[in-house]
Amino acid sequence: MKAWLPAVALGGALALVAMVLVFAVQPEPAPTAAERTDALAGELRCPDCQGLSVADSPTRSAQEISRQIDVLVADGATDDEVRAYFVARYGDWILLAPTSPAAWIIPFAVVIAGAGALGAWLIARRRPAHQPKRGISTEERRRVREEAEALDA
Amino acid sequence: MRHLRWLLVPIIVVPLALLLLSGFGRDPREIASPLIGQPAPTWTFTTLDGDTLSTDELAGRPYLVNFWASWCIPACVDEHPVLASAFERHGDELTVVGVLYQDSPADAEAFLARYGDAGYGHLIDESGRLAIDYGVTGPPETFFVDADGIVRARQWGPLTDALVDERLASIGIGR
Repeated sequence: MKAWLPAVALGGALALVAMVLVFAVQPEPAPTAAERTDALAGELRCPDCQGLSVADSPTRSAQEISRQIDVLVADGATDDEVRAYFVARYGDWILLAPTSPAAWIIPFAVVIAGAGALGAWLIARRRPAHQPKRGISTEERRRVREEAEALDA
Repeated sequence: MRHLRWLLVPIIVVPLALLLLSGFGRDPREIASPLIGQPAPTWTFTTLDGDTLSTDELAGRPYLVNFWASWCIPACVDEHPVLASAFERHGDELTVVGVLYQDSPADAEAFLARYGDAGYGHLIDESGRLAIDYGVTGPPETFFVDADGIVRARQWGPLTDALVDERLASIGIGR
């Protein structure tokens, strides 16, 4: 074993970690204004459609909202500012995905609670109270003894 | 344990049934407006008559903003005489503003020629910008703004005489 081998291995490992870090931290190219408008249009509900986003709808309302997003983005609004602009006018309804954490937690909580209740009920049902007892009671034991004694007599 | 099961009825089943039943009482397309209690949007527009109208001119005066379209049938046709009557009765203290919602001036003029022009102005919202500012989802939709410029009420769908009086009372008219 050469003395310099561990040093080389350590150096190699460090280089590998550094490379991974560089790739992981490397910033993605900033989205263009058009990409941001498209992404935001995909998050907003088209007012005169049934559950379609502004990006997916060809209606005039959708086009007008899309154009307004363009104007806001060109004016330097952040994504959050654009969302807030439409929420102030249409309410939270305009956002296709709910912002309240409760909307994400409650369905899972209900499913888990329901599964728990079902499990508890099934377990309670599998060991019913009338299961045959192991062995015999003291009462039966006493009676058997009495009968045996009566036979002996 | 067996009688506990019956507790589930008042604890879970009844509230759930009431919650679901309450859904029958409302139209799922009607969304509560976040504008109520907020300052009304400001604007300057050209009207069908070629005049210029802006919210600056309406300062200190209650007004209603009615989004309508000639293609909005029958709701806007039914509502038209209701607005004309409100304008006639309260025109001295109330400004009525019509807004063309995704409609061409020519079609709107034909509508007014056919169903009667009450005499109040109609804004040409070409880009739909005012409809976005008011969060309009479809005509007819009417907003009631008080003398301080605060939105006090919204009517989603056609107004009736009773509804218009009720909404006007919220901006201090007809009391």
